[in-house]
Amino acid sequence: MNAQTTDRTISNFIRALRNADIRVSTAETLDALTAVELVGYEDRDYLKRALSLVLPKTEDEKVTFDACFDQFFAFQDVRGEAEAALSDGSEAEDQDSEDGGDGEGGGAGGDRQAQPGGKRKKSKSKNKNNLFEEEEEEDLGPGEMTDPNSALGKLLMANSRVELAVQMSAAGEAVNIRDIQIFTQKGLYARRVMDQMGLADLNQEIADLRQAPAVPARRLGQQLKARRDFLREQVRDYVEQQFLLNADVSGKRLREELLRKVKLSNVEHRNFRLIQEIVYKMAKKLSTLHSRRKKVFKRGQLNISRTLRNNMSYDGAIFNLHWKSVKVDRPKVFAICDVSGSVANYARFMLMFLYSLDEVMPKVRSFAFSSDLAEVTELFNRNKIEDAIAKTLRDYSGGSTDYGQALLDFKKLCLDDIDNRTTIIILGDARNNFGEAHAEVLKELYDRSKRVIWLNPEARLAWNTGDSEMRKYGAYSHQVEECNSLMHLERVVGNLLRHTN
Amino acid sequence: MADIETIAASVASLKENFEQHRYICSDEIATAVFLAYQLRKPVLIEGPPGVGKTELAKTAAEMFSLPLVRLQCYEGLDESKAIYEWKYGKQLLYTQVLKEALDEVLQGAKGFTQSVSKLHEFGDIFFSNEFLEPRPLLKALREEDGCVLLIDEIDKADHEFESLLLEILSDYQVSIPEIGTIKAVAEPPIVFLTSNNTREISDALKRRCLHLYIPFPDVEVESKIIGARVPEVPPELQRQLVEFIHELRNLDLKKLPAISETIDWARTLVLLHAESLEPKLVKDTLNVILKFQEDIDNVHSEVNALAAKVTK
Repeated sequence: MNAQTTDRTISNFIRALRNADIRVSTAETLDALTAVELVGYEDRDYLKRALSLVLPKTEDEKVTFDACFDQFFAFQDVRGEAEAALSDGSEAEDQDSEDGGDGEGGGAGGDRQAQPGGKRKKSKSKNKNNLFEEEEEEDLGPGEMTDPNSALGKLLMANSRVELAVQMSAAGEAVNIRDIQIFTQKGLYARRVMDQMGLADLNQEIADLRQAPAVPARRLGQQLKARRDFLREQVRDYVEQQFLLNADVSGKRLREELLRKVKLSNVEHRNFRLIQEIVYKMAKKLSTLHSRRKKVFKRGQLNISRTLRNNMSYDGAIFNLHWKSVKVDRPKVFAICDVSGSVANYARFMLMFLYSLDEVMPKVRSFAFSSDLAEVTELFNRNKIEDAIAKTLRDYSGGSTDYGQALLDFKKLCLDDIDNRTTIIILGDARNNFGEAHAEVLKELYDRSKRVIWLNPEARLAWNTGDSEMRKYGAYSHQVEECNSLMHLERVVGNLLRHTN
Repeated sequence: MADIETIAASVASLKENFEQHRYICSDEIATAVFLAYQLRKPVLIEGPPGVGKTELAKTAAEMFSLPLVRLQCYEGLDESKAIYEWKYGKQLLYTQVLKEALDEVLQGAKGFTQSVSKLHEFGDIFFSNEFLEPRPLLKALREEDGCVLLIDEIDKADHEFESLLLEILSDYQVSIPEIGTIKAVAEPPIVFLTSNNTREISDALKRRCLHLYIPFPDVEVESKIIGARVPEVPPELQRQLVEFIHELRNLDLKKLPAISETIDWARTLVLLHAESLEPKLVKDTLNVILKFQEDIDNVHSEVNALAAKVTK
């Protein structure tokens, strides 16, 4: 096996990995190649172990990697394409020699028909009908074949695997096989590739030849048919490989992309798990981005007293300088979520997001209310996400919405904890059932805290209609946003983290 | 004593040698060490606490008969504690002592320019190797015959510290502004980094390392480990206690018992001359394997059932 085919196989594999959401850098590709050189292709498990040390870099990625490896090296001959081509070539030769054998057998007597037939079945599954014809022909002994007319026929009879592969990928390019997206398209693309390669002409030719009176022509017809079946398999493999390389293997990314844009209230139940995953990913991404920023120390000002004190031991000579450093703290986030009937569809996701945020950021306190407000931080910490959400909804979603009361409760509970580093997020539609709005409480919170953000699941047009108090509350919020899809949510939280620094 | 080359020649020989040093390892682990040596790449080891991440580095050092240089990471660790520091005290002392000699040096020098150029002839004596205090990373590079460098619990250090490590991990060198670049004297060290995954390690660091994940072992491997570490345990008891631990790992606990706890428990049971896992005995020794009162309380009620299951 030469180095080039190794390179190609590995880089194809890495493309497949990247498709499956494993990030592989160029440096890691080089590492993988060196590792492969070291361990060789002989032992599949060994190869897998070695590659799984070099390529995937988290526990999750390792799981994905395992699946990908099994899938990729299941049909792709581990020794690379050239070797595969070689073995295919020899297979074709086998077939030829068998044909010869059949011819002789036929000449000796009809009783040996079954044997070569069985053999043939093993190498290529053909239908009975075909076999019979062949036997008929064989009475005439092996002989000349006419030359094929169609382009594809010529190509097939030329016995050149390389040529065939080149044609196949050219055809693939022509039908934009790189656009293949979901697995149901595989059959379609295989068909298109075959058509592009001139299947129609070939079929016509085969049909004609088999009707032909001359024996050599019929013989050719048979050969072509066999090779067409062989080609079909090749194309199917080729498409399968292209699918692995180009399509998102599980179609997950596509679905995620769609789900992000869908209104949260319209998401179907079966997609909850996926949403949960996305939400968690998002919260995590945001918090890593953020925690990195948090670490920035402000350097530059000399801390004179500390420097002097620490350099006493050096006889007052100032060796060791100390700088004033400011550690930017993570923000304190208070999140209040309306879980009443009017926002029931959103509450689930808002809670889900709260829960995820709580997992990735240490200083989040969560509250839920419909008429009375209570803290659910503890509940979130103690329970798994489904239980926590279910319990919150069960315990707090009963009453009719009363924002005024909720704000009063919130004030009573934690006004003292709110300082100029606190961000308050309120999730709700501000529909107060024409009750007392108590906007002055919100003003108090507004004055004390760093930011008040109001996220409203209703479309902007619907604000301030009916019993919505958005205008009153909006006056005492730093930021008011419409938020009813994951995309909105991501944007809002991204902004939130940017401002907290 | 076999040399490193022969030990690290193949995965099988590594595995065997590890076993001789009473470290039972899976194929993954042996392959990781093999690749680490052959490719000269650091290994980042992740996994739950107590599965033998640190032990792997220690055993590797012992097996290769190399010194082990260990850097324990913690929040606030910086280059002056990890790479090098100047010996300020010594510098100060020397300047005081040499004050008198200064006149001799400057003798005959006329004017300021001449004095300064005379001083320049001496170069940066106070910032030379003599005054350099090497910390673990620099020490590792300076080991004559190579060494095993263990950077323990990298996740406890700050983000910036990871960036500090990048140079040493990819090129086996450190840059000291006053002196220049110091490369590894002989063989580059074999580097192990461990992480308990309390936070994500940066991509830049991961890219430079092989990544090894050590999970909890299966029953078979764990029995072998107990056999190697605590050979005094009777085989029947060994089977029972390993199975019991595996049952525990299926429960919803705050902290699952790791291999180190299994070993401790095996030792405890040997000390108590236990023959088999009696429920009472288990209840009395639960605090060896479970580290939270909450967990102990939870398991307490299940002990009878579990013990019956494994002693059947």
